[in-house]
Parts: sequence; structure tokens; C-alpha cells
Amino acid sequence: MIRNYFKIAWRNLMKHKVFSMINIIGLTIGLSASFVIGLMIYYDATFDNFHKDSDRIYRVVTDFKSPEGLFHNSGITLALEDAIAEDSNFKTVSSFYIERPSKVENKAKDLEFKWPDFVIFTNQNYFNLFDYKFLAGNNQNILTNPNEVILTDKRAADYFPKMSPSEIIGKTLVYNDSLQVTVTGIVENFKDRTDFIFQEFISQPTLLQTRLKDNFIEKNWSNTNSNSQLFVKVNKSSNLPAIQARLDGLAKEHRDEESIKYGDEQIFTLQPLSDIHFNEDYGIYDWSKGQASLSLLWNLALVALFLLLLGCINFINLNTAQASQRAKEIGIRKTLGSSRKQLIGQFMGETFLLVLISAILSLILSKWLINLFSDFVPEGLSIELLNTPLIIIGIIILLLVVTFLSGFYPALILSKFNTVSVLKNHLASGEKKLKLRKFLTVFQFTIAQIFIIATLLVGKQINYLLNKDMGFKTDAIVSVYSPRAEGEISKKELYVQKLKAIPEIKEISIGGQAPASFSTHSSGMTYNNGEKEINAELQFIFGDKNYLKLFELELLAGRGHRNDTIKELVINETCRKFLGFKSPDEAIGKIIMIDDENIPIVGVMSDFNQRSLRSDIKPMALRGDWHRPDWSQFQAVHMAFQNESSENLKATLSKIEDTYKSVYSETDDYRAEFLDENIQRFYNRERKVSKLLNWATGLSILISCLGLLGLVIYTTNRRVKEIGVRKVLGASLLQINTMLCKEFLILVLIAFIIASPIAWFGINNWLQDFTYKTNISFWVFLLSGCAMLFFALLVISIKTLQAANANPVDSLRSE
Amino acid sequence: MLLRLNQASRIIKSGGKKISLLDTINLNVKEGEFISLMGPSGSGKSTLLNCIGMLENFTDGGYVFLEEPVHSMKERDKTKLYKEYIGFVFQAYHLIDELTVQENIETPLLYKNIKSSERKALVADILDRFNIVGKKDLFPSQLSGGQQQLVGIARALISKPKLLLADEPTGNLNSKQGIEIMELFAELNIEGVTIIQATHSESNAAYGTRIINLLDGKIVSE
Repeated sequence: MIRNYFKIAWRNLMKHKVFSMINIIGLTIGLSASFVIGLMIYYDATFDNFHKDSDRIYRVVTDFKSPEGLFHNSGITLALEDAIAEDSNFKTVSSFYIERPSKVENKAKDLEFKWPDFVIFTNQNYFNLFDYKFLAGNNQNILTNPNEVILTDKRAADYFPKMSPSEIIGKTLVYNDSLQVTVTGIVENFKDRTDFIFQEFISQPTLLQTRLKDNFIEKNWSNTNSNSQLFVKVNKSSNLPAIQARLDGLAKEHRDEESIKYGDEQIFTLQPLSDIHFNEDYGIYDWSKGQASLSLLWNLALVALFLLLLGCINFINLNTAQASQRAKEIGIRKTLGSSRKQLIGQFMGETFLLVLISAILSLILSKWLINLFSDFVPEGLSIELLNTPLIIIGIIILLLVVTFLSGFYPALILSKFNTVSVLKNHLASGEKKLKLRKFLTVFQFTIAQIFIIATLLVGKQINYLLNKDMGFKTDAIVSVYSPRAEGEISKKELYVQKLKAIPEIKEISIGGQAPASFSTHSSGMTYNNGEKEINAELQFIFGDKNYLKLFELELLAGRGHRNDTIKELVINETCRKFLGFKSPDEAIGKIIMIDDENIPIVGVMSDFNQRSLRSDIKPMALRGDWHRPDWSQFQAVHMAFQNESSENLKATLSKIEDTYKSVYSETDDYRAEFLDENIQRFYNRERKVSKLLNWATGLSILISCLGLLGLVIYTTNRRVKEIGVRKVLGASLLQINTMLCKEFLILVLIAFIIASPIAWFGINNWLQDFTYKTNISFWVFLLSGCAMLFFALLVISIKTLQAANANPVDSLRSE
Repeated sequence: MLLRLNQASRIIKSGGKKISLLDTINLNVKEGEFISLMGPSGSGKSTLLNCIGMLENFTDGGYVFLEEPVHSMKERDKTKLYKEYIGFVFQAYHLIDELTVQENIETPLLYKNIKSSERKALVADILDRFNIVGKKDLFPSQLSGGQQQLVGIARALISKPKLLLADEPTGNLNSKQGIEIMELFAELNIEGVTIIQATHSESNAAYGTRIINLLDGKIVSE
């Protein structure tokens, strides 16, 4: 019986090739999206779930509440650990301190390693909390004495090449030229997905021999460093609100006078282990790995769901539309003794076959998709993850659900046909079924329409952000960075001298970052206007005398600072208003206090955006390089070109690089950045959203139009006779086409009416993140509506024109 | 007695009016009979066949098949009874276009859950008997009308029904093919299959052992 079903299903597929293709394409798109996105969700959701009692492990993190807002830090004050170590609510309290040594040496082998990463100082408790497998060495009473270290097998292989774990035990490593440390254990790296990527575990007492000594001898309550991490495992019986209350109590008890004065407050919170991978507020330990974003995963899941739904809807629409073609077979089967249940079984089987074909295609496609969407897909995710039992079960369930969703309704309709009327060819097409099909089509087009509007508006916003005048010159400026930690100015000056020989360069300035960058420098400032004290955070940009001119920052009053090291400030308009000066001129000569120093304001410059346009303009000042030569804020040489076009740009750039190499002959670390490219990077996230939307839009239009095409083919085929009669009666091609298109275009219009407010609402919501918003223009809606109509009309016309063109004699004779 | 109709009627509503398709039919059919139903178009021949074949229901009256009261039966039991004892032959053959000759004939056996090997044997027998072994892998569209009807009859007989219902079995055939089919029916009747056929043709009706004339849903003469 099953074989019979599959045979007939297969032949049906082959007989209606167009419909089968439409169905398979629709389902394949939906399933591929689901597979890839499902894999991503699985990948990110299974981080660190393998630890014993992982649901009871928490990281203690700190939130700072202040009048300026809420700030997050993944670390805690060092004093907190001792305060809660004896608390009976906690089974284990484990702290560690992340500290990167500058150098590690294996003297015996004469090997030297610079800046090894993922080194922590910790104790036995860390290994009680996280179950490491010991390959060598004792796992009891570890890291209690100073100068002990445990290595992972991976790190051990670097430090002690070609040695077995047990041979390494007892060997000595020298840290930072002075610390002699003995290896007491080798543990296996975690095999499962984890954010705990530490490789070297040095005993905590060793800290007292490092530069951090003072911090640990006198642990305080006021300094929070994200390197100082604290984990706890709570007891089964302990209740979390009570723990939180205890932590709040500790924070309150140790709040210092200054915090009270400025209204600052620190709050210790328990962050569940499972939250670490997702929570961007506190971050993960390996910054180079992008952090998983819950909202991104949600959005992706929604996209997958919609695409899958669209595919299912196509299936339902086409199969119910096609039902009359199968009616005869159904009637015969019923007279031959098939029960309704058996018929439903048969049709579900057919649906399953189709879903299966789509699934196989999707699996092949997924591999390609993972590469295509590498912006979204986490680095470690590979297609091999499909082999996990949970994923396989998930896929099977998904296939069954999709089969049921798309197959059940058509099966119900098909099996319900009345045998006798079918066999007598009295098939009335039920008005009700038509209504459902129309509803589903409207649904499809609504989704497609929403995607179109969203794509256009997100594109418009990105365009707006990139093209909005930021208040300074952004085009044709290149910045060349000097080697890291170079405190001297002489080489930069020499470089500038040499650059002046290049005629294509218009302006040169030595300074810090460009006016808009990812980094911020700020200090608290105080200004006393005679009545009251004004406190605020003041951001800085650093530059020489040429800086203002190069970036075309407008000076509204006063002058620029006289030289690099003189303590003078050029404030921006926002700062001027904040301090309460009525005009730029009024600000000149006033003194503000920064870090207990009195600094005069010598100039006021116009406002510009120092960050992405998501955020406001903050009080800011331009200053020189005050602390030279102890350390220098001047890290870059900025150049503006004569010519804004890209003509000869390459030649000029290579001249700049050659010049750099002639000055910095000993280093090969040449870093040049274009300002406009940097500004584009501000909007990487938006551009990701935009890319995703482009795809979702394209695919949803494709699926919906395919579905529409199917419906049109079906209806026109049924109306062939009517078309013939009308033609004989003298209807023109256009009239017939209009008649045929009208009913479908109405559906598209209804979809537009439903989609517009939804899209408006969604985009309006999204735009709230931006301080600078493009307006949601009327024409965008109009344009997207027209686009949708155009696509629909194109698809419909393919079939209707053909039908209208047919010779009426043929269609009428066959009747 | 194979079946008994007692005051059986079928009345449907159409556009607010009641239309009586069958009007108080009384009919007894013994096993081994060959009945020809005659009458003009719309007289109720097909409806009577469909009702006897349980594809449609009488709206009134009693219908007893093999001493079981069909009128008070559940749909599932009806299907069971029907699968076991009744075969149908149509004017328009109604073969499944997507299946080959062999598969078309096999289908009723699938619904009776007969084992594959047995099915093969039964199908082979009947193909042999109807002389269509050479055509077994062809699709219906590749056959002539007479051959299609032959397949239709073979399919109706494969499950060894007691009662064969034929609705104008020769209506789409030329006279030579028609005669062949009717002779096949006569032969089957001699082998013991009860047959009820609806027909317009006097000559076809003459193959029957009993002729019933219908007019406007009533039996007018026997």
C-alpha cells in the first residue's frame, strides 16, 4: 500500500511539474532558513551547559547606578570575596584574576613566549566549580602554595613541545623575567562549547609577587576591575532573593562618602552561567569571538518562521486549488473501497514525500548558506553539528510539523469529496475554500509587503546616517597610526616633515583619534560660576594646532590652543551651553577644573558628532598632548588630500607608506585608516540588519509570487472556456487580461493596507534607538506598494496573457 | 436473498424545493440474478444503482443487504460490507490515470489489506482471463475505450464481489465492443455473479434475466 502511495505521489509530482517546483522551492527556502538558524540557536544555547550543576553556578557582577545612567562591569571589588566566603548559602565561592604576563620562558628549552593570553590567578575552588579532567598531577590541594601553575594540554604542548603530561609535572616556567613557577598539573581543555577558554592557572598567592601586590594586601570596596572575577555555586536549598538582599546589604554598608555625594551606587548581581554567553552588558572572556545576541537570534528565528509559513501556505493554496484535478482519482478510490482515513493517509504521505525532497535539498543548501551568512553565523559552527542526536530529532519533528501544517488541510478537503458528484463531473468549487485561499494569499503578501517596506526604510536610515553631515570633514582623509606606545613626538614630526614633500596632501595634523571614533577619553570637570558648582563628564579629542583646520571644524569664538603641551581647551557648543555661557564669546577665558587643575577655555568650536548618530552630542573639548613625554595621546598622523576624487589615490597612498617606512625602518606595523570607512563601521549592525532584510524580502517576494503564479495558472485554466466565449463575443486582449488580473490585484492591495501600519509600527520602534532619524516618508510606502503590485502583475501576466492570447476555437471545441 | 428494498426513497432539496429522485421503491434481488434497469435519462437508474452500491443513501425506507440492515448502519460498517461484496463498473470507466493497468486492478486489493504475493497472483489470473496480460504496464490513456472498460470490469471483479453494479457499461463504446462486454457479463452471471446494470439499449437489456423499467423515480413495470 505504502509503495503504491509513493508511486502515485511520485507520478503526480512529475505530472504537475510546475506546481511541484513551486512547492519544493517554497518549502526548501523555508526549511533551509530553519535549518541554518536552528543550528545557530542550538550552537549558542549549548554553551557551558555541561558543567555539573550548571544551573546553580552564577557569576557575581557589578552594576553602577549614577545620575548619568546605568553602567555594567563583569568584575567585582576584591573585598567582596572574603565578605561572602563563609556565607552558608554558597557551596563554593571561587574568584580568579585575569592577568596577562608580558613574557613566559621555558629556560630548559630556551623557549620564550610573549604576551600569552587567557592566564588567570586562581585557587582550588575554581577546579571544584568547573570539572576539569586532570591528565597529570594531583587534583587535591592544588594551587595552595605560591609559584604553582596548572596548564591545559593545549598550552602545555606550546610550552613543552613533545613531552607527555606526566613528564611536564615539576618543570619550571619563568614569568615576567622574575617569577619562578612550577607546573603542578595538566588538565584537559574542555571538549564542549565553552566561554571558559583559560589556558594557564597560576596559584593565587603568587599574585603577591606581582605588580598587583598592593591591591591584594589591602583589598578595597571602591575599585572595580573587570579582571577580578567572582563565581559562586549556590546550595540547593538557598533562596536567591535572600542572597541578593545580603549582597545589597554589603554594597550599602561599604558605600563611600564620595559615592554618596555624587549619588553613585554599586549593585552586586548574580548572573546565571547560561546568561554569560548572551549578555552583552558583561561580555565574555574572549573578545575576539563575537558575542551571541539573543535579539538577533530571535529576529532570525522569526524570519525562518515566516519563510517556512510562506512555503506551507503555498502548498495549501496550490493543493486545494488543484483538488478538482485529483477529485476523479479520489472518487474512484472511494468506490474501490478506500476509507476517508486511508485517503488522508495517502495525501499526507504525498506531502511528506515533497517535504522530504525539500529537506534533502535544504541540507545541501545549508552548507552554502552558512558561508553566505558568515556575518551572522558564529565562527565555530559547522555543518557537522547536524550529526548531534538532538538536532536530528529536531529536524524530524520539524519535517513532521511542516508536513502536518501544509498537508492536513488539503488532505481534509480532498478526502471530503462526494464520490457520486465527482464521478458525474458535478464538481462545485466551494465558495468557502476560495475564501480561505484568498485569506492565505493576503497573508503571504502582507508578510512580503512588510519586508519590502522595512527594507526600504532601514536602507533609507542607513543612507541617512552615512550621508548626514557629521559636522566635520570626513572624505579624503587618511590616518596613519604610529607604533603602539610610542611616547616620543620626534619621529612623528620627522614623518610629517617628509610628508610635506608630497604635493597631493593638503593638510597634515598630528593628533589622537579622528573627531569621530570608537574610543572615548573623558574626565570629570567642575565649573564654578559663582553661584553653584557644575559637575559633568567632559570628553576629549587630542590634536595639534592643525587639527581644527584639517577636519574643517569651525571655530565660533576665540582661538585654537597655542601649542601641543600648553594646558588650554577648545570646547564645543554643547559644552558651552551646558556650562551656561550665553554666547561663545562669553566662554572665552573662563577657567574650568579638571583633575584638580585649572584650565582656561581659549576657544569654542561648533558641534559635531563624536560617535555614531545613534547617540547625542556630548560636551567635548579639544586639547593638546599635555603629559608628553610620560605618555602621549598623539597616536596618529592625519592627512587630508588636495583632491577628493580617487584619482592617483593609490600612488599617493604608496608614497605615504614608503615615507612611513623610511621613518620607522625597524617596524613593519603600518596601520592606515580612511575616516569614511571608519564611520561606515559605526553602522555594521545596521548593515547586518539590512542584509538580512534584503534576503528575507527577496525570498518572501519569490515565494509569494510563486504561490500567486500557481493560483493564477489554476484559475485561468478553469476559465479557459469563459475566456474563449468572451473572445468570440469580441473582448480585446487587454480587457480579458484586466478581468483576470483584477481579482488578484485586489488581494495584493488588501495586503498592502494591512501591512503598512504594521511596518510603520515596527520601523518606528527600531528607529527609537537612533538620536538622528530619517523620517518615515509617505513615498516609501507608496513605492513599496507599487513594487509589490508590479511584481504581482508581472507574475500574473505571464499566465493571463497566454490564456487571453489562445485561439478560442481550441478551448471551445474541446468542451 | 441478496438484497431487499422496502419503500425506499431518495428525496433531495434543491433551491428550496423537494425533488424526489427515487419514490418508494420495492425490490428484491436474489443471488444469481442479472437485472437490467431501463428508463429515460433522469428516471433514477443511476441513483438507484448508487444507492444500492452505498455510494449514496436512501433518505427513507429500508435497505437490507445479505440480511443486514444497511439503512441503520454506520459509515464504517457500510464501507466494510461494500468492500467485501460489491463491484462497480462505470460508463466512463473511471480508471486512475496515474496508475498502470496492473496497478489499477490491484488497488481494491490494497484496500482489503491482502498480502503482496497473493495480490500478484490474483492480478495475474484476471489479466490472463481477460486476455490483457500484454497491456499490464500501459497507462489508461494508452488504451482504447473497449480495453479500458475491460480493465474497469477486471478491477471490479478482482475482489470477487457477489454483486456487480454497472452504470451504462457500454455507453461509451461502439457496438462491437458493446457486444463483447455484454457477453462477458452474461458469462460472469452464469459463473454466479449477481449483476444489476442500468442501460438505455433494449438489446443490452435483453442479456438480463429480469428487466425493470423506471420513470420519474418509480418502478413502472417489471
